[in-house]
Amino acid sequence: MPKCFIDGKEVEFNPGENLVKVAKRAGVEIPVFCYHPGLSVVAQCRMCYVEVEKMPKLQTACSTMAAEGMVVKTQSEAVKKGRQGTMEFLLLNHPLDCPICDKAGECDLQDNSFGHGSATMRHGEERRTYVDVDMGPVIQKNMNRCIHCTRCIRFGDEIAGIHEMVAIKRGNNIDITTIDGKQLKTEYAGNYSDICPTGSLTLKDFRFKKRAWMLKKTATVCEGCSKGCNMEVQHEGNVIYRCIPRENLEINKFWMCDEGRFNYRYTQDEARVVDPKLRGPEGPKTAAWQDVIATVESKIRNGEVLFLVGTDLTNEELSAIREASTALRSGIQIRTFGTPGVTRTTEDGPADNILKMKSKTSNLNGAEKLGLEPLTGDARAETVIVFRGGRAGIPKIEAKWTAGVGVFTREESSGFDSVLPGLAFTEKEGTITNHSGVEQRLARAVRPKGTCKPVSEILMSLLNIKSKAGQA
Amino acid sequence: MLAQRKPGFLNRLYLIEVIRGLAITMKNFLFHKKVTLQFPEQRRDYSGRYRGQHYIKSVNGVENCTACMLCPTVCPAECIHIVAGEREDKEKYPVKFEIDSLRCCFCGMCEEACPKDAIKLSNIYEMSQKNRTVYEKDFLLEQRGNK
Repeated sequence: MPKCFIDGKEVEFNPGENLVKVAKRAGVEIPVFCYHPGLSVVAQCRMCYVEVEKMPKLQTACSTMAAEGMVVKTQSEAVKKGRQGTMEFLLLNHPLDCPICDKAGECDLQDNSFGHGSATMRHGEERRTYVDVDMGPVIQKNMNRCIHCTRCIRFGDEIAGIHEMVAIKRGNNIDITTIDGKQLKTEYAGNYSDICPTGSLTLKDFRFKKRAWMLKKTATVCEGCSKGCNMEVQHEGNVIYRCIPRENLEINKFWMCDEGRFNYRYTQDEARVVDPKLRGPEGPKTAAWQDVIATVESKIRNGEVLFLVGTDLTNEELSAIREASTALRSGIQIRTFGTPGVTRTTEDGPADNILKMKSKTSNLNGAEKLGLEPLTGDARAETVIVFRGGRAGIPKIEAKWTAGVGVFTREESSGFDSVLPGLAFTEKEGTITNHSGVEQRLARAVRPKGTCKPVSEILMSLLNIKSKAGQA
Repeated sequence: MLAQRKPGFLNRLYLIEVIRGLAITMKNFLFHKKVTLQFPEQRRDYSGRYRGQHYIKSVNGVENCTACMLCPTVCPAECIHIVAGEREDKEKYPVKFEIDSLRCCFCGMCEEACPKDAIKLSNIYEMSQKNRTVYEKDFLLEQRGNK
């Protein structure tokens, strides 16, 4: 492999790699604004200046490919001065509204200004201001903060596949906006906020909710579809505030769709059933866990019993249900359900040419690998127990007695005779298998709501009652 | 070290020592400047840097605070609770601004961290209360200092 020298360190590189990537491997961080590893290179922010030996002027590291024997200096006086000058230009029109800005704390402009800028400014003229257009329900725009890196324009063009953001006018009057001031159409709009190096494009959903540094971060996987995008749940005080994508070059690269990004909302929905319910004469009533468990146990002791398991459960939960069903008694049928029309992995496929998959449940592949058969037609049995992670579409059920184990809203569980609230994907550990067979781990970010219990614990209590009854 | 007992009958009576002690007491009582104050009538003048009851500075009736959350971030006692919101005349403002006065240790770090010159500690030190007191935003907006 060819080698080059960065700050005196010898680094190997693949031909065609730019200096930002090579330097990162050498442990040298080069400050960037317009460069993003997932987007094309434009080299217009001029922040990534480096000095290359035998080249007369400073070079932008993002657009300079590493070459055999190249000697690069990233900390020389000329580079420092160049970066400081660039920083001063970028901040000419930037308002000092970090206290108001939602990006503060995770802002590239803040970090690079602190690391490479100057503490004083020489400019005292009035800053230019803009009137902002409404960009739709996801993104809040604040053009005053923009440094025209054009990451958003390139993202729409290259990743989201819809060229909806443009730079109109030029020079000091440049305005980064949508074509004709329309609202954003893409279903990947949340990424605009992630890639924006300043607070120009921020999430409306997260607006003024929390400051970035207050949030605790848990690395987990999205359960929005069978793609299994890597994401980070950001939460504080047992409340989830937002989800952002994590880099995984094999699955989702740097991106994530809005459906997955805002999927966490159902876990803290007001309408979610968080206490065990039993149907009384006047409708569902909150009951004690042991009473509900005892009722379920008595119902599944006889007759035709069907376990409906959602393909949004983890592999561990699915296999626990399968094991428990044989231990409880023989003859319990297990059928999976998930997205209507997508019952097998052969029917699954990309829903668009970016990330989304047809199966809206995360673990269709895992359920199939465990040998569970999908439900065909309606669910018909004397007693039906529905196990569900929170996203699977509940099929039509015709039964004398129905119980739901897992995450349901009051509306979804209105036809059930009993609800045993389970854990949502942010509250449990487990693995899910995505459409291409990659097994990934869900991590527990927050404590369960109310008195929700894991599926395994519910199954264990059922088995305990049975074994006690057997001894008596 | 133990006190040495002086020998002799007079010394064992301690009479001389008692009189000596009384003399010191009387000297301080009669001829020294008093260190105490008659509190409700007389007030002590504290320095301008004294850290007493909080207030949020406002200019022309608009609070300086923009709910940037730097004070709850820096607060070692975690006694400040802010909920941010948006309104017509101000992009970001504190909908709720509460200081749990019993948790507060009056370190003044909030004042130091504030980028908007909003939260201040006044000279007021009479803060005794019958029950646990949380200073609400309306109370904090009373301009009780001149910092």
